[in-house]
Amino acid sequence: MNSLIVLPIVLPLLGAFLLPLLMRLSVGLGVWVGPAILIYDGWLLAEQWFSGTALPFSLAIGGFAPPLGINLYIDALALLFAFSVQLLGLLFWPFRLDQESARRQSLMLLLVASSTGLALSGDLFNLYVFYELVAVATFGLIAVSATGAAYAATLRYLILSGIGSVLTLLGIALIYGQTGTLNLAHLAQLAPHQLNDTLGLTAFLLILIGVGVKAELFPVNTWVPEVYATASSRLSAFLAGLVSKLALLIILRLLVLVFYQPEALQVMLVLGILGVVSGELAAWRAKDVRRMLAFSSIGQLGMIFIALAMPDGAGLLAVLALAFHHLVIKSGLFSLADGWGGAIDQLRGAAKASPLAAALFVLFALSLIGFPPLPGFWAKFTLITELASQTSPLYLIGLTVFLLATVVEASYLFRLVATLYEKSPDETEPAETPKPAGLSLVTASLFGLGLLATTLFIAPVGDLLSHVSAQTGNVNLYIDTVMAGQTGGSR
Amino acid sequence: MIPLPNPELILFTTALGLVAIGLAGLALSRHLFRTVLALVIAEAGANLMLVLAGYRWDAVAPILTHLGEQPPMVDPVPQAMVLTAIVIGVGVQALAVSILIRIRQLYGTLERSTVAEKMSAEIAASAGTARDISQEAPLGERPLPPLPGAISEARGGKS
Amino acid sequence: MTFTPLDELLLYSGATVLVALLLGRRLAAGWMVTILYGVQLLGLLKMASLGYGGTPISSSLSFQVLGQTLSWRFDALSWFFALITLGSALLSSWYSCGEWERAFRRQGGNLWLFHLAMALNVLSMLILLASGDLLSLFIGWELVSWAGFLLMAMAGGIATKAAMRYITYAMAGAMMIFGGIALVYVSAGSLQYEAILTAVGRMGTAHLWMLVILFGAGFGIKMGLLPFHLWQAPAYAETPGPGSAFLGAISSRMGLFAIALVLVKLFGVVNIESLKIPFTLIDARDLLAWIAVLTIILPTFTAMKQNDARHLLAWHGIGQGGYMLLGLVVADAMGGAGGLLHVFNHATYQAALFMAVTAVIHRTGTADLNKLGGLVVRMPLSFLVLLVGIIGLAGLPPMNGFVSKWLVYRSLLNQGMPLLFLASVIGTLGTILSVYKLIHNIFLGQLRVEHEQVREAPWSMMIPMLILTAIIFITGLFPGIPLAWVASVQQAVGLPVPDYTLGGVTASSGSLDMIWVIGVLFAGFGIGALIFYGAGPSKRVHQLDNYAGGHFLTADVRYQYSDNFYAGLMHLIKGWYRGSFLWLESSVKSLVEFLSLGMQGIYRRANAEFYLLSIALFVIAWVVI
Repeated sequence: MNSLIVLPIVLPLLGAFLLPLLMRLSVGLGVWVGPAILIYDGWLLAEQWFSGTALPFSLAIGGFAPPLGINLYIDALALLFAFSVQLLGLLFWPFRLDQESARRQSLMLLLVASSTGLALSGDLFNLYVFYELVAVATFGLIAVSATGAAYAATLRYLILSGIGSVLTLLGIALIYGQTGTLNLAHLAQLAPHQLNDTLGLTAFLLILIGVGVKAELFPVNTWVPEVYATASSRLSAFLAGLVSKLALLIILRLLVLVFYQPEALQVMLVLGILGVVSGELAAWRAKDVRRMLAFSSIGQLGMIFIALAMPDGAGLLAVLALAFHHLVIKSGLFSLADGWGGAIDQLRGAAKASPLAAALFVLFALSLIGFPPLPGFWAKFTLITELASQTSPLYLIGLTVFLLATVVEASYLFRLVATLYEKSPDETEPAETPKPAGLSLVTASLFGLGLLATTLFIAPVGDLLSHVSAQTGNVNLYIDTVMAGQTGGSR
Repeated sequence: MIPLPNPELILFTTALGLVAIGLAGLALSRHLFRTVLALVIAEAGANLMLVLAGYRWDAVAPILTHLGEQPPMVDPVPQAMVLTAIVIGVGVQALAVSILIRIRQLYGTLERSTVAEKMSAEIAASAGTARDISQEAPLGERPLPPLPGAISEARGGKS
Repeated sequence: MTFTPLDELLLYSGATVLVALLLGRRLAAGWMVTILYGVQLLGLLKMASLGYGGTPISSSLSFQVLGQTLSWRFDALSWFFALITLGSALLSSWYSCGEWERAFRRQGGNLWLFHLAMALNVLSMLILLASGDLLSLFIGWELVSWAGFLLMAMAGGIATKAAMRYITYAMAGAMMIFGGIALVYVSAGSLQYEAILTAVGRMGTAHLWMLVILFGAGFGIKMGLLPFHLWQAPAYAETPGPGSAFLGAISSRMGLFAIALVLVKLFGVVNIESLKIPFTLIDARDLLAWIAVLTIILPTFTAMKQNDARHLLAWHGIGQGGYMLLGLVVADAMGGAGGLLHVFNHATYQAALFMAVTAVIHRTGTADLNKLGGLVVRMPLSFLVLLVGIIGLAGLPPMNGFVSKWLVYRSLLNQGMPLLFLASVIGTLGTILSVYKLIHNIFLGQLRVEHEQVREAPWSMMIPMLILTAIIFITGLFPGIPLAWVASVQQAVGLPVPDYTLGGVTASSGSLDMIWVIGVLFAGFGIGALIFYGAGPSKRVHQLDNYAGGHFLTADVRYQYSDNFYAGLMHLIKGWYRGSFLWLESSVKSLVEFLSLGMQGIYRRANAEFYLLSIALFVIAWVVI
């Protein structure tokens, strides 16, 4: 049963390579392959969650036990992320049929497979490979738009991402040279003795900046506004909502398990603060919705980095709450941007044409700025109470920046809301206001419903997240699970 | 007599030097193709670094030549990883070059700043917003009249 | 699960929102919500024991989220503010029913949204007032802010702009409070009031300073305290008529409620007084008092320059908030009573004034003080309401505003704060001058030609106004009625209680008995009337039959002196109007704009990798070395 957990990685990967052939044979059959795989995988993961299998467990791939072999590590967090990948993959599936649909769909499957791999893998190099696969699939998907701007933005992303991989590889080489292993559990065992020095710190910083490219970390996120402005909104939703969080997950795992050094935290805190400042302020002047959302996404990721930078795993709960909250909100907002993505000025009075979309936008915006009792408030509440209890003044600066950024955020989001609900100056003008596409509106409504449901059941959700964060922060559990608890999962 | 430097040190320096050259090239080059080339150099450096991480001078290649007694082998893991990394790297580079061709076809240039300029113009046009910053219309409520010299320069003429 | 009276009240309030939401498009919706406000008021009166020193009533609703307990309960403080909230909601909603509603709909207003926004405001205010810990206080606070935003923004156009400005200020305030709550949580380990009360004694000076500044400024923004007052007047004034009556009466008082709760009750005035400002003679309490006084003076004199009746009133609303805070931070028996009583009094006359002005707008279509005049012959009852209201606003006998202001003055003198007293009297002077401008430009002078056919306001609007007028007079005559509630509020927040009687207060330093004051006043009026009517036949002069400056004017030249009112005074003081706060506001905005431009520049730079990589490498080098 447990070994079935590799299927969410293997099936989409297989599908990605077979789909172009299949589409050539029969389009009618081919279009169903992707969604079917995603639904099956989602069901599989959900069943894993509910079947009562003791979490976490580890699964060795290829018959070699860790630390020699490569393993998958499945805990509650990994399962949650893997399930989110399937769900979002399905919600943002490129349903549109045209010349490029085979390419688009197989790239999407590749993206899903590698994203799932990122969520589940327990080996650093394996993570690197999946990370690169995610990158390649993303480049392909952005470039499908086939406009000059899309190519230019992709190239810029590609180059930054290339720098990122070089730095990550350097970091991995340093780690391997020092410890001789890349298995995360083994590294966690060795780290306190072997990586607790400047070499370890350098390695971590290299990987932080390298992986940070996708996690929209401050100095290496200049690709964000352009890519989100040129890619389709649904792809942007997937990237901003999920892929950034998966990159974050790598950093989180490394930070919790391997590199636990105050300097590393400080650097991350500073970069997080800079991300919040630059993102939120840049969004304040943004003239079109997509770039506004992109900048806001940078700011939000900065907040998560601030949370991640707290010592002793104090911020883990806040990190998870903020990450999942942002996942829902940004995916919803980018779905609305599918149709509302243009200039803000053109949206004057757009609420009249599509009241549901406007109401959803208000809901997401309110939650994003932390309006109680919506979930965003609780996420922010956990963050600021933890921040305030830190003794170092740098964290208080982080707190101040965070609060100021929220004011700026409220200001620009509600300027857009005011524009949406503005009455048109004269009624004679023909109503040519843009409307969100129907499919994306449905998607956004689902996210909105999810948000409202979370608001109602905030207490159990909070308990669940506390449990997950406690499990994630437990280093010994990870080591014991991987090194001792071989579940005999060799194929 | 100058002592011969440790070959390992030379190799490590070479690897880091390649990365440094690549990064500098990325940051300084004005042509997009050169940027891609710089990326290739940087990746080569990183791969070399990875190989060095597991290399032992007193060992043989990790191939099972004869059963039984084995001389010490070089750690095979980094070599496998490097192979993977090279494959990925080549794939990405091929993709980059193909994108370069498309950009050249659509924009007619690979000059970095020109491409960036055209890209932001295209994004602004497709979003329906005014350009944020341009030479012709500076920011602010009452734009100052452009200098006559700047206009003629912008039009490319020295009339 | 048993329903406590508080549960019932919240349930009624929720039902009102539901009715407004579902049936709000019906024609009779206004009456339905009005009746439901009445029901809520009855529910509140069931808890009337709270107003007379009863024990707090808690709600059976309670949550546990992320280790925090959220609970709600009512005490005397909540009850007093809830009474004002529901009273003004009932009367404003009543006022909006019937004629005003139809006119509003004709002009393209969204009546459904109006009723919904009102009901949401009331519900969120009740939730705020019922908060049983700091977290539920913050939740209520945010709900109130955003419900207020909805009501302010719904008219569109200028109103939306004003509301946007409001929400930016409000978010800044909310974030200060949020930060303050985090700091409190860290030092007290809990957000329950009891835990905070015990933790305050342990807090260091710097910590307490930080908290006073964060909470004071955060709550002060809602009150429109200087220097955060710019948003309030346009936001309240541009709200649809009955909405501005409601907001003007109670909305910004939520800030005062929170200050009374957090700064006075939890932190304690004694603790605030112990926070000395280095190198000066003043402490944090004096600072608050001076801010309050400046809030009285500056907005009042700004009000004097307004040419829109609604804006004039809204500016006064900011200024009057200063008296309340002043009384509260003086914090002796009389000052506290005066400040809190002023909340009640202000709500009554401010609502009446906004209603009277809205009635004028309803009939004439304008609130421009330069385009009105002489309406006393057409709308005598509205004139009466406005007259009673401005007497209350100016703080003159026999109306209720006099009592509360007298109490504040008295306590300032008792406590030996003559400078503050002087400053607040200057504020009152400004009030008198500007309310005279209000009543003169609307009702006195000669009637304009275009207003000759104007009729008195309809009864649906008149009755609530008259009820308010009666309350203003009666509580002026018998201030003991509200003083009983105020006394139990003072007890609840830990302030000394004055000896009050039905007619006022008794104290060794000086007593006030309004029954005597008004008796003497009316005796004087009686004597005057005797002389007037007994002195022989008088000649009745037509409104248009007069002359000015020695020039006879024919009846077809209407003469109304309104533009450039108080020209002489303005000539003297115009140098003081510098618009410094506007400058401050716009400079903050420009700063954000500038920074934003810079940040966008970072993301747009073609070769940003270079700079960013060098920064990254620098950081790595810094950490490694």
